[in-house]
Amino acid sequence: MNSPSIQPPHQDGKIPNPGADLSQALEDYLETVFLLVKEQGFARVRDIADARDVKAASVSPAMSRLARLGLIQYVRREYITLTPLGEQVARRIYARHQVMTRFFVEVLKVPRAVAQQDACAMEHSLSPRVMDAMARFLEFMELCPEGTVLLEQYGRCTRVNHCETDCCDSCSPDGSPAASPPVSVSDLRPGQVGVVTQVEGRGAIRQRLLDMGILPRVRISVERVAPAGDPIWIKLQGFQLSLRRKEASAVLVAPV
Amino acid sequence: MNDLANITSPNPGPALQAGPVPESSLRVLLAGNPNSGKTSIFNALSGARQRVGNYPGVTVEKREGRFRDGDVEVELLDLPGTYSLSSYSPEERVAQEELLDAGADVVVVVVDSTTLKRSLVLLAQVMLLGANPVLCMNMSDEARRAGQEIDTAMLEELLGFPVVETVGHRAVGIDHLKRAIARAANTPVQRSRLVLGNLLETAIDSLASLLEDAGLATTGHRWLALKLLLGGEGTRALRGAPDLHEVGANWSMALREAETRRRAIQSRTGLDVSLYVMECYYGFVDGLLRQVVRKAPREDAREMSDRIDSVVVNRLLGIPIFLVLMYAIFWVTFTLGEYPMGWLEWGFGRLGALVGSLWPMGSDSALRSLLVDGIIGGVGGVVVFLPNILLLFLGLAFLEDSGYMARAAFLVDRLMHRFGLHGQSFIPMMTGFGCSIPGIMATRTLANERDRLTTMMVLPLMSCGARLPIYMLLIPAFFPAHLRAPALWLIYMVGIVLALVLALLLRRSFLKGEDAPFVMELPPYRMPTARAVFLKMLERSSLYLRKAGTIILAISIVMWAATSFPRLEDHQVDKDLAAGTLKIVEPIQGGEGESSSSFTGSSGLSGVPVLLDPHEYQRRRTAEELRYSLAGRIGTAIEPVIRPLGFDWKIGTAILGAFTAKEVFVAQMGIVYSLGQTDETSQELREVLTRDYSPLVGVSLMLFLLIAFPCMATFAITRRESGSWKWALLQSGGLTALGYLVALLVYQVGSLFT
Repeated sequence: MNSPSIQPPHQDGKIPNPGADLSQALEDYLETVFLLVKEQGFARVRDIADARDVKAASVSPAMSRLARLGLIQYVRREYITLTPLGEQVARRIYARHQVMTRFFVEVLKVPRAVAQQDACAMEHSLSPRVMDAMARFLEFMELCPEGTVLLEQYGRCTRVNHCETDCCDSCSPDGSPAASPPVSVSDLRPGQVGVVTQVEGRGAIRQRLLDMGILPRVRISVERVAPAGDPIWIKLQGFQLSLRRKEASAVLVAPV
Repeated sequence: MNDLANITSPNPGPALQAGPVPESSLRVLLAGNPNSGKTSIFNALSGARQRVGNYPGVTVEKREGRFRDGDVEVELLDLPGTYSLSSYSPEERVAQEELLDAGADVVVVVVDSTTLKRSLVLLAQVMLLGANPVLCMNMSDEARRAGQEIDTAMLEELLGFPVVETVGHRAVGIDHLKRAIARAANTPVQRSRLVLGNLLETAIDSLASLLEDAGLATTGHRWLALKLLLGGEGTRALRGAPDLHEVGANWSMALREAETRRRAIQSRTGLDVSLYVMECYYGFVDGLLRQVVRKAPREDAREMSDRIDSVVVNRLLGIPIFLVLMYAIFWVTFTLGEYPMGWLEWGFGRLGALVGSLWPMGSDSALRSLLVDGIIGGVGGVVVFLPNILLLFLGLAFLEDSGYMARAAFLVDRLMHRFGLHGQSFIPMMTGFGCSIPGIMATRTLANERDRLTTMMVLPLMSCGARLPIYMLLIPAFFPAHLRAPALWLIYMVGIVLALVLALLLRRSFLKGEDAPFVMELPPYRMPTARAVFLKMLERSSLYLRKAGTIILAISIVMWAATSFPRLEDHQVDKDLAAGTLKIVEPIQGGEGESSSSFTGSSGLSGVPVLLDPHEYQRRRTAEELRYSLAGRIGTAIEPVIRPLGFDWKIGTAILGAFTAKEVFVAQMGIVYSLGQTDETSQELREVLTRDYSPLVGVSLMLFLLIAFPCMATFAITRRESGSWKWALLQSGGLTALGYLVALLVYQVGSLFT
């Protein structure tokens, strides 16, 4: 259900911002309505109560207040729907929630359940500017090739607190941690899988490897070896290639 | 009125053509990866209206076709299959130049829908080139079977140009493709929606505007800017571009700017530019796919193919299965081929007899002899091997289209590589067993120039279909029945082993250099379609047949003339006859079965005339005529040279014929011995050979004919495919020298023991 692309929660100043006047509880209710409408097309008081784990009786007053703010259409005993303004606000709240959760999970490597709980708690108190900055940061870390490498490195690094001064020196500049020395694809046995960390070599041969999609972070598995021991047969990105050991040795991988 | 209009028409050209005049014409390019089914799309679009040629100066195949879409005449150009447009291989350079040439209205990018991620990179490059693309998602049936679902409407919206799903080999979706081409031509892409990220795009834009301002490029600024940024090989290719002749201050400024940008990217990302650019392409493709893939293909989509591979390319079974398959192809070729071959032989025999019967019996009209012995005999001798060639090429085309040949290349690469060849050299060499000409043309599949040349040079050592009649004539003449099959096998093996050794020597001498990469895609097994296999078979076989129609025809006439002129007026036999030292005796009735040798050998006591039957008399007459003729004189002249190999002037004369086309040797031997029309099954000729030569001469002769003198057609095609006389001359000269040496060695050493 989480949208693949990151929408900056704060778009531009022209949109009225009634969200700022909402209390945390109302924001949560609005978000719930939004999710229910998205999921099943409508929302009922009972569904909302179930989703938020509260009594139906406490839902109704909140709905009335949201209706007064022009965010939802609410008539007793009928389905609740979002007004265009309400949908806009709800979307923004939801997007913020998503950004927070993803930031916790993907950057900080916090377990998802914890991340969701804390995102709920924090999303209301952060200013749009900070949210925006966070979204941008997240986007950068995802798109920038080095960002992803850094994230991976951070994920593997468990000793930050005890880091000696030479901790960073021990990481090789291409981003592969010195802890597991890189091996080449030609060192993998049939059935073994590795993630590419570096493509060495130069000129035509290297370009050919790159053209075939052998790039950092791509998973390569060695399928089989020719009867004479060379060339080898690899699988990557849904297709299969053969290459000689000499060429394969230019592709460095971290075994999985 | 009409007449007047025609006369005053400033351009009468189109008006003279039959059919409606096309209102407009389009030029469409077809780009795509190897194995993307591009050729099947091309065939489905253009049907029979196509022609195959070469790009000038390079050995890259150029396929052009045309088709009519309503009122629009569409001119179609099939670009060579490439994985990218980097400038390393001649294919990539050609494709890039054609795409940069502003003449194309639409560029159809054909992709294999089962490997979209990799395939779409080429599309991204075509987009950067500023072309007006149509995306043709081929093999869509296979992708769908694998469970992949693509939102093509969304893809079309995101890309901003038409997207069509096709199944090329079954011609599904071709009408849609035609409509998409028309649509793209009518509404060209205004602004490319390619997204490569800020860092790269600003670099490209700044370089592109620099190129534009300096007047260094007229089209594809952004593409050229990227090439400049990549530097190295890319820049070198760029320099050759026609737009960049006036290099100078502007040029070095552009180079400096590129260098600055390159450094900036390197320090910002920690990646070298070529890797970063590739990452950006993949970034774009990933983003695109993330939005349009509704369902990813199942993990086990290739399971069937993988299961076949686990047997076929097995470490233990792989090589045995390969050998059995190759043996099966040859077995089918020669056993099944025998029947139609017999029919053809019979047909040509009848034709010869029919044409001969137009003249009175015993006529020695030159025209009759030219038609019957020269043309029908010569051309017929080639055409009878057509069934064999068709069958061999059918088998090879089937294995190629099924995907097995890529596996075979994988299996044999180690062996081939050890001798300086390439795993993929194997396919042209197999083809060479049929005929060297399509074999040499098939070397085009090799990406590296050195691999291509090495393969081409040694390819004539694969015993082609035309050597077979020679072996069929000589082996039964000199070997006892139980040794014939092994002897045939051995002579094929000698060719293969010599080819490997020679390749190694070439790579150590004339063709020194770094090995080409063996990065080869292994597509899943596919059931070949009859249509595609037949087209491939016919295309290659027609090369063989064309040789029969042109070179062989011409050579047959020349050889006939050389053996017929100058004409001998007074024969020694007639003089002897007149002097009474010879006497013609009619054989006793019913003595047909008796060998005429009982007469020839009967040179009785001195003074008693030698008895001859009329056949033998005729034979001696023609033998004398031949010796007197030009061919005979040349044969006699070279006798001192070939004597150490065990050959006499008769063989020498026949060898002259073999240079033109190997199979001519057999016919030529027949003429030398004046046995009228002969072929490799001619028992009469075999008896004469057994009588006149030792088995050692037979072996020496077979080796010489195997190695020396690739035929004229091979010489011509090598000259064309290698692009220089040097290689053609080296091939012919080198092989002849080698053949001479081997035959000399065998005969001289052999003579010591016999």
